[in-house]
Amino acid sequence: MATVSKSFSQLAKLVMLVTLLMSSGCGRGHKFWTNWWTPGDTVDNVGYHPEQPIDFPHNLHVKNRQIPCEYCHSAARRSASAGIPPLNTCIGCHKYVRTDKDAIKYLNAKWEAKEAVQWTKVHDLPDYVRFSHRPHVQKGIECSQCHGDVGEMTTVYQAKSLQMGWCIECHQANKAPISCATCHY
Amino acid sequence: MRSIDSDLRGLEDKREVFVTNDQPFESPAKEFVPGTFYVNIEEVMPELAESKDEQDTSGELKLPVDRRDFMRLFSAGAVMASAAACVRRPVEKAVPYVEQPKDFIPGIANYYATTIDRLGVVVKTREGRPVFVEGNPEHPLSQGSVSLVALSELQALYHPDRRQAPQVNYGTNRVGEATWDEVYDRLATKVKGAKKVAILAKGTTGHGVTFYKDFLKAIGQSEENLYLYDSNSLYNAVSEAHRLAFGVDGLPRADLRRSKLLVGLGSEFLDVSGVSQVFDTKSWSVGHAFRAGNKGRFVQFESRLTTTGSKADERHVIGVGDEFAVGLAFVRALAKLSEAKGSAAEKANISAVVEANKSLIEETTSRLKLDEALFDKLASEAVAKKAVILAGESGASTKNATLVQVVAIMANVLTGAYAERLLFFDQGWFKNPTRPGDLARFLKDAPEIDLLFVINTNPAYTLPQSSGIAKALSNKVVVSMQAMPNETEDYAEFKLNTHNPLEAWGDEELVAGFWSIQQPTVRPAFNSRQAEDILLWVAAKLNKPMGVEDYRSYLREKWRAIYKDSGINKDFEVFFKAIQRKGFFVTQLAKREMPSFGHVADKLKFEPTASGLKLVAHFHSKLYDGYGADRPVLQEAGDSLTTVVWDTWVAMHPKKARELGLKYNDLVVVKGPAGSFEAAVYPMPGLHPDTVAVPRGGGKKVGLSRVSDGVGVDALQVLNAEFDSHTGDPVTAGQLVEITKTGKRYRLAAMQKHNDIANRRDIMQVVKLSKAVEKVRDEKDLDNVPDLYPSHAPKPGDLRSPDSYLFPDWKASDTYRWGLSIDLDRCNGCGTCVVACDLENNVPQIGREQVSVGREMHWLRIDRYFSGSVDNPEVSYQPVGCQHCNHAPCEAVCPVFATTHDAEGMNSQTYNRCVGTRYCANACPYKVRRFNWFTHKWHIMGDRPMDRNPRALNPDVTVRTRGIMEKCTFCVQRIRDAKHNAKQQNRLVFDGEIRTACQTVCPADAITFGNLLDPNSRVSRNRKDHRAYLLLGGNPEEGEYGLKTLPNVSYLAKVLHDGSDGVAAGDGHELGAGHQHP
Repeated sequence: MATVSKSFSQLAKLVMLVTLLMSSGCGRGHKFWTNWWTPGDTVDNVGYHPEQPIDFPHNLHVKNRQIPCEYCHSAARRSASAGIPPLNTCIGCHKYVRTDKDAIKYLNAKWEAKEAVQWTKVHDLPDYVRFSHRPHVQKGIECSQCHGDVGEMTTVYQAKSLQMGWCIECHQANKAPISCATCHY
Repeated sequence: MRSIDSDLRGLEDKREVFVTNDQPFESPAKEFVPGTFYVNIEEVMPELAESKDEQDTSGELKLPVDRRDFMRLFSAGAVMASAAACVRRPVEKAVPYVEQPKDFIPGIANYYATTIDRLGVVVKTREGRPVFVEGNPEHPLSQGSVSLVALSELQALYHPDRRQAPQVNYGTNRVGEATWDEVYDRLATKVKGAKKVAILAKGTTGHGVTFYKDFLKAIGQSEENLYLYDSNSLYNAVSEAHRLAFGVDGLPRADLRRSKLLVGLGSEFLDVSGVSQVFDTKSWSVGHAFRAGNKGRFVQFESRLTTTGSKADERHVIGVGDEFAVGLAFVRALAKLSEAKGSAAEKANISAVVEANKSLIEETTSRLKLDEALFDKLASEAVAKKAVILAGESGASTKNATLVQVVAIMANVLTGAYAERLLFFDQGWFKNPTRPGDLARFLKDAPEIDLLFVINTNPAYTLPQSSGIAKALSNKVVVSMQAMPNETEDYAEFKLNTHNPLEAWGDEELVAGFWSIQQPTVRPAFNSRQAEDILLWVAAKLNKPMGVEDYRSYLREKWRAIYKDSGINKDFEVFFKAIQRKGFFVTQLAKREMPSFGHVADKLKFEPTASGLKLVAHFHSKLYDGYGADRPVLQEAGDSLTTVVWDTWVAMHPKKARELGLKYNDLVVVKGPAGSFEAAVYPMPGLHPDTVAVPRGGGKKVGLSRVSDGVGVDALQVLNAEFDSHTGDPVTAGQLVEITKTGKRYRLAAMQKHNDIANRRDIMQVVKLSKAVEKVRDEKDLDNVPDLYPSHAPKPGDLRSPDSYLFPDWKASDTYRWGLSIDLDRCNGCGTCVVACDLENNVPQIGREQVSVGREMHWLRIDRYFSGSVDNPEVSYQPVGCQHCNHAPCEAVCPVFATTHDAEGMNSQTYNRCVGTRYCANACPYKVRRFNWFTHKWHIMGDRPMDRNPRALNPDVTVRTRGIMEKCTFCVQRIRDAKHNAKQQNRLVFDGEIRTACQTVCPADAITFGNLLDPNSRVSRNRKDHRAYLLLGGNPEEGEYGLKTLPNVSYLAKVLHDGSDGVAAGDGHELGAGHQHP
């Protein structure tokens, strides 16, 4: 009896620990196993979904209002960086539109104060990787191929792994260069 | 969200843990095989090798953290890393603009045309911050190239030692930072109370001078109270000599592209200073380099080995102060010729000078053993080829500096250089930024001055102490306006921080009638002000406003006048925008009658120098007069000839050193008439035995800048107060010194011993002119190398597949194969490429101690080779970066595939894959791979904390950390950019579209980059040239293929004159054509 109870309690403790670990995480969509380790996998940050100053609803703009991605991320076609839209892009509409909402009030307050909004980067490559949006957008690759269906997201999270193997798969399939110096310099 | 990175970063600051000994780096070659070339003096004079007995005073490396501490810290870091794992790291912010400027796209560079260091440049800015300075390709003076000073302004802009706020000395030990308003108020009161207010400003040719005069007038002072000063005394000497000879002043502009023969009298036009170094180097390279069977000739007479003299085809060593007499001997030979140019009156005037100094000529030429036949031969060649004669050094002037310039003018009149418009003096002449006699006038007037503005110039350091500058700056209110703190501020009551040239407005009229504009390329990084704006405020506070709100408006008004004169049919705003975009404007080049050479014989009073060891305190080839001393990139670039970094050396003739019982690195006392200093001896071939050459730019005051603290000594302090009687500029060459041994030694951090690939063949190749002319149409195929690694080829019955070769065929691209070609005939070792590479590729500077143990990080180095006798050697330079071998030894040995071959022929280094085994560096036969012994954090610079601002980094290049191998990448970031551009326009990259950083700045156009698969690209034509060879690539003509590494970098052999053009041979050193090192 005593022995059964001891092993049962050990098992119960283990189950509880695993459950706790599986359910814990740092934020929405940001689970322990995706963030730290998964057997056979490395950290890929899929599901990384940080808090932002305001909950910018991509779905509302992209899907409901049909605003093209490059209306705001206008540098993507011309530059390595896609560019986070400057505040004046937001204010262009939101000086008049939906000014009663809290988030818009926040934007307008920032605009009045001439302060920049500090967004947290979601798709953040390591510093030794050089990715340029320009050739990819020029080639006609859909934004969603790497960023997921942003039109379905409210605030953006990382949908794809953005790891090297994931890049190479696509590069190989499309006969794009795969030498190291394509991205690492 | 705590950052784990910050903990680890703190740890990496303890970088010294890996220093295990203080042994200097010695070249690994075990035995020396004598060859034609030598890099160190001990190879030819072993008795001069550094002594091991004497006490070494170069200091020991200190280890603040021992290894055990390091391990403890490191394990603590590891624990923290696991505890905080739930946070994605690093969490980075994306902060967009509030209002994005219209012409701005994030990630795309903007370029601004401006003028720095009297050169038209284009500043590349990213996100509003300057990241690189390139020459303005349309600017006729810089022609796309740039000087070291202008290039390194990037490091001065964000320099941690720039004053953050103006400082005022309130008296009785109260020194404090002030607001600008307080400064203006206080300054206005002081000006009101001053009887005589004066301005001592850095010389300029632009509207700055007019502005200073206007300011003085506005506050009720005389225009005469403006004094212009520049430590480059060549401007005044040339200008004053022309005034003496012709009655009008100006600096003639030499068109060296057409000059077949150039004669130098101690000239240093290729060096960092000169009248217009970049312009002269550009045009001289065109005229002098071997091209289509032609090559110009350069004959130099000089007392120390200058970078310029090292490029001479015929070089004669003369004593310090002999330039006048030797020049006259040449003039005498010219005057004897009936075909010499010049009117009869001019010839008579010239002969009068020669006659007056007849005995001097005889005495000097017989002492120097220069016989008349030599001058006769040179003279007939000079007249036939319409030679240009350039004279004089900028930084080191003798008592007779102006006289030497007069001699040069006489020679130029006789060869017809003025008449044939090889020297422009009647149109398009350079304007003198300073004025002869201003310095003497200032020193004389100084006691009467009550308040002195010193603007962007540092007389307290660049003049010898004995000149009385300290006294001249004392007993008055000195208002020092400087971009960087300097010695002059010590005397100042007001220490005002002004804009860096990258932040300031200004303009220059470099050539009479040719204007260049200087405009800000960045918002002021600190709380500084433009010097002229400060003056405007002072005038306003005195209720004597000058009618403009700032200096920009003042310049606009001046430019409005230029606009009106030029009769342009557009709105002024359009005109001014266009000027800002282009950077320069030609109104109408001023013209004047070419005057004739006047009677000057009685005005030239030669002052002889005594015999003995004479000191030449010359400009440092990187640090200039000390202006560059606070820029680590210049300190670490090293001198062209000695390759010494972060130090001052005493260069002496090797035989003289032996005579005095001195060895390399022996610490000596140099005792001059006004003082003494200690520095280490560097036996330098090619000096006159009586010359002691010491560079300036060292011994800056401690506390000014953490970069220049404790670097070198100031040679000027030993000089007596002597002045050129014509210009009033201080004499910095020719004063007698004594050299005494101290019995100690001090190890100079000279890079020439590092990365030694001597004892191998086929490194430096030279070809004689006759052979080069004969083969000028021959083509080579350097890529045709048979039997690559025959021992590796499978033999019958060999079970190995072809895949088991050491170098399997890589998947080569069929559109691009990048290659680089370096013309050794053009390279003059100036080192601008090294500095540009450092700045473009975020290469760290590591300081003297680390360099002395062989850890310099330069991706591109310049090897310097001597050949021939130590009395007068031939000097060859060779820039060496990664050769991007197609069969790269480094690739074969990397255990983690961190270095691999790119489809486009590049040898690429993947930093994140590198684990730091350093196998590749050991395998590399060219010794071009660099290992990061430390994380060269941007706040650590070698052995001194530096707080380098990451804003000055190039955002397109990864910053490497400790344990990573790195090397030249062919500026792959520029290749990527150009390829993306080409792809966008659905075309291939065209030739010349990609220019590597070293190529963009090279003033000699020695470097060519391009696609080797395009048979018509400049680089593949250079690779096919008959002079082309591969480094360590054997001698393919004799069926010997060297290491067979198949580099994508090729070199063009240097061409030596051998008398084949019917002209006197060089110095007669025996140099075999083709491969070397018998």
